[in-house]
Amino acid sequence: MLQVLVSTANQLLADLNRSLLRERKPAARPRLVPAGPAARYQPLQRVLLTDGVGRTLFEEYAAHRAQARGEEETGWVLMGLREVNEAIVLATLPAGAERDASVAHVRFNSRAQEVGSRIVRQSDRRLTILGVVHTHPGSLRHPSDADYRGDHQWVRHVRGGEGVFGIGTADGEPANGALFAWQPRPHVQCLGELSLSWYALRHGDPGYRPLPVGLTIGPDLARALHSVWTVIERHADQLDRLYRQQAGVTFHLAEANATRGLIVNIPLAEPNTALRVLLAEDEVRYYLVRDGELLAAECQEDRVDRGVYLLLAELAAPS
Amino acid sequence: MDFRPLNDTERRQLISALRGNAENDRVILMDRRDTTFLGTSEEVPDEEVINAIRSVPCHY
Repeated sequence: MLQVLVSTANQLLADLNRSLLRERKPAARPRLVPAGPAARYQPLQRVLLTDGVGRTLFEEYAAHRAQARGEEETGWVLMGLREVNEAIVLATLPAGAERDASVAHVRFNSRAQEVGSRIVRQSDRRLTILGVVHTHPGSLRHPSDADYRGDHQWVRHVRGGEGVFGIGTADGEPANGALFAWQPRPHVQCLGELSLSWYALRHGDPGYRPLPVGLTIGPDLARALHSVWTVIERHADQLDRLYRQQAGVTFHLAEANATRGLIVNIPLAEPNTALRVLLAEDEVRYYLVRDGELLAAECQEDRVDRGVYLLLAELAAPS
Repeated sequence: MDFRPLNDTERRQLISALRGNAENDRVILMDRRDTTFLGTSEEVPDEEVINAIRSVPCHY
C-alpha cells in the first residue's frame, strides 16, 4: 500500500508541481526593535483595518445573509498587531461551517481557527489576537449584556488586557447605496444596509466604549485561506497534532487550476527531502519530494496524521 | 574582546530588555558572532495566540 511509486507525468501532477515544487519564500525574520522600554499597553484609542480586512467583513457578511443559514449570527476572530494605543487588524479567521449558531448566538469553530492562526503566523509571528466581530439579527448595534459576561473575562487573554469588538447589523439606511462605505460616526462603518460598530473592552471596565475605526491600505492575510476553510475544518485536529509533533511543518495553498486545497509540507532529516500532503475537498494525496523530484505515494489514508506516520514508517524501513 | 562599560543609553536598553524578559516573556536577542546584545523581539508566543482563540466565548 505504501510503496512509493514514481508518478507518471499526468496533467494533474504537472499542475500540482507548480504549487508543490515552487520556491518557497523564507519566513520573514522577526523585526528587531531597539531595546527601549518594554511595551506598556495603553487604552486603545482606535482600531485600524486594512482595506482587505474591511472588504472581507462586508463581503462575507453579505454572502452569509444570502445563504440558507443567513438568519443565524456569524462572526470572525481578528488578528493583527497590538501597538501601544491602537490595534491594526491584518487578518480574519471565519466562524466556520461547523460553528454552533442560531438567530440568538454564535460559537466559533475554534479548532479550525487555531490551525488558521498557525498558518497566518508562518509569515509574521508578531501577529496576535485582537478581538472578535459578530453579527446581530436585529438593530442592536452594541454588544449585549450576555456578550459582556463572556468578553470581560476573555479580554484577560488578549495583549494589553483589552479587546476589540465589532457588531454587524443589517439595519442601515443605504444613504450612499452600496457603492462605497461611509462613517456616520467615528466608530460606525456602513455599506449599503450593512453596518459595523466598533467597541473596546478593557479588563475590569464596567462596559464597552465606542472605538473609532480607521482604514489603511493592506491585505487580509487570511483571506485566501477562506476558500479552503472547509478543508481546514475537516482536518483541523489532525493538522494541529502534526504541527505540534513534527518540526518545521509548513502550510501552503495549492494553486493548481484543477485542484483547490491546502498543502502540508513535512521536512525530513535527509537534505532536500520532504513529505507533502495535498488536502482537497474530496481527497487526500501524499507525495515524497526528493532532490526536486516529486513522487506520488500510494496511500489511501484519509486521516492526514495517520497517513504521514505510515509513510514515515515505510521510509524508515530498511530497503 | 571589548570590556568597556556600557554607556547610559546601553544600560537603560539592557535593563528594559531584562525587565521585559522577566515580566512579559520577551525574547532577548544576541549577536551569534560576538554575543553582543541586539535588542528584543516582538514575536508573540504560539501559546498566547492559541489560548486566546480557544477561550473566545459564545456571543449573543
